[in-house]
Amino acid sequence: MSVTDGVLEKAAQAAFYVVALATLLGAWWAVSARNLFRAALGLALALFGVAALYLYLEAEFLAVVQLLIYVGAILTLILFGVMLTARIADPSQPRWNRQAGAALGLAAGIGLGLGWLYLNGAWAAPGTAQPPVALAALGKTLVSGYLLPFELLSLLLLGALVGALVIAKRE
Amino acid sequence: MIVPLPYFLVVGAGLFAMGLFGALTRRNAIGILMGIELILNAANLNLVAFNRAWGTPEGTGQVMALFVIGIAAAAAVVGLALILAIFRHRQTISADEIRLLKG
Repeated sequence: MSVTDGVLEKAAQAAFYVVALATLLGAWWAVSARNLFRAALGLALALFGVAALYLYLEAEFLAVVQLLIYVGAILTLILFGVMLTARIADPSQPRWNRQAGAALGLAAGIGLGLGWLYLNGAWAAPGTAQPPVALAALGKTLVSGYLLPFELLSLLLLGALVGALVIAKRE
Repeated sequence: MIVPLPYFLVVGAGLFAMGLFGALTRRNAIGILMGIELILNAANLNLVAFNRAWGTPEGTGQVMALFVIGIAAAAAVVGLALILAIFRHRQTISADEIRLLKG
């Protein structure tokens, strides 16, 4: 490994902290912003961050899918929902319900407990570095071993499409 | 891996905790949906990270993550359609005020 490779690796490791922090900050905005539009923008930041983490894990296809489906489709849908249902930024409306204290305790307990377990658990590092998953291998797995769930998923999406139209149409 | 596995898992745990908090406490139904999306993203991050560290070259973990993304899309579509229908009938999407089935 040359000197520049080492420097690049250090820079990538430093950038990981920025990405992780941005992801968690976006998630916090998504659940705490009083204005739902800002909450959706925080969700966008978190989804972008997760896509960047996929790149760190050398799952390039999943990163692209994350951007296309989550940021491109689901987030657009959520923004439409926010704009179609009024009273989004009413400051007199409390953003959380009465269980906020108990839920904060539960979520913080689970999150900190899991984090402690992850950092202190006996994770035996794999001896040899695994090769990243090749795109061709991923496609082959999808349509050989998982062909039935794959086709069922398309059926589910068709059902969701028709069902959403029926539910949301005007009488 | 440039960054060790537990770092990704800690980010996933943080995303899960915040998504759980949002899904439990948001008064707005769309806010609850956002919390659920965060929880699904946390699960996906764990699947992909474990697949990278210990998985086989077939990429089963990534296939699972793809299925989760597909089902999340279907859930978001139906959920938002329900929210729109409820808003049209009741003029509110606050989860506290939707109690048609409460006796």
